[in-house]
Amino acid sequence: MRTALRVAILVAAILPAFSLFGGARHFTFLYEANTSAAGSLELENWVTSQHASRLGRFDQVDFRHELEYGVTDKFQASIYLADWFYETDPEHSGFTYSDTAIELIYNLTNPVVDPVGLSIYGELRAGDRLIELESKLIAQKNFGPLILVYNATLESVWEGNDLSEREGELQQALGASYEISPRISVGIELLHECVFPDWRDAERIRNVFVGPNASYRHGNWFVTVTALAQATDTNDEADFQVRTIFGIGL
Amino acid sequence: MKKVSIFLVLTCLLLGCGLTNYIPPVTSQMATTRKGQHVDLAMLREGRTLFAHRCIECHTLPVLWHYSTQDWPEIVNSMSHRASLKPAEREAIVAYILAVRSADRGR
Repeated sequence: MRTALRVAILVAAILPAFSLFGGARHFTFLYEANTSAAGSLELENWVTSQHASRLGRFDQVDFRHELEYGVTDKFQASIYLADWFYETDPEHSGFTYSDTAIELIYNLTNPVVDPVGLSIYGELRAGDRLIELESKLIAQKNFGPLILVYNATLESVWEGNDLSEREGELQQALGASYEISPRISVGIELLHECVFPDWRDAERIRNVFVGPNASYRHGNWFVTVTALAQATDTNDEADFQVRTIFGIGL
Repeated sequence: MKKVSIFLVLTCLLLGCGLTNYIPPVTSQMATTRKGQHVDLAMLREGRTLFAHRCIECHTLPVLWHYSTQDWPEIVNSMSHRASLKPAEREAIVAYILAVRSADRGR
């Protein structure tokens, strides 16, 4: 308890030193190529609600709390303080801590002045029963008020009691966002996943999710929401998922 | 034929959107056209870079001709805190925007 109090006092003492905004998101399942300004610090809270009604019926709400810091104008680092979830299925329900994560993004080119904006991304998640490595190539082009984004992601997952269960995933995602006004954007996100349990493609698992998004920003905060529906027929994947990210400059 | 038409229409729409927020590179002409005053080229280049990198963290780039030259300093100033802009960076962005407008008017 004393340690927690000390940490809280330390954070409260440090935070006023920063009072800058990292930037707003136009998408929730995709990343944009631009990175936060040097010295900016932002808190982003993620809530993802998933619902599956088929054979592997479940409801799950995932929570992530991200502190994002601009190290330089082209390099940003984030820490996900705690990833946790609440699940209900026919057998049990309850809260579970999943992992803590770090994420690094390096921006290579700009989506406005260069032919295409590119960034590279790396994330490491580690928890009691989970280790996950994720790397991503982010491409973006801005055409006036229209933002087009493409993400190619490769994930390696080790999970289970002794981390003996392995899985790989290759994901491609496309997004478009149109800015109606400087504060409001609407768009669409499309995800295509190839899942490789045990790094084999015997089951040929392919998932496609598609749905609209909307974003509102004002002052030093923003909120972005995406609702996705599964366009394939995979039983143990969510039929619907809604992700909300609320970000605020600290 | 139908697919080609759709492709051409989409290409034209994207190019049209792209042209609306075109941010021209800095030219020597821009350094001298602002009310006859000389503006440092390096400052204008920095202003263009900052405009292209910092402003898109929150929103797409606005059309430079949508607002008057009197409005721009206040617009940039109002967002400078959340864009983490120092005073010199703010001035560089304003100088670039006004130089682009002046150069365009001077053609």
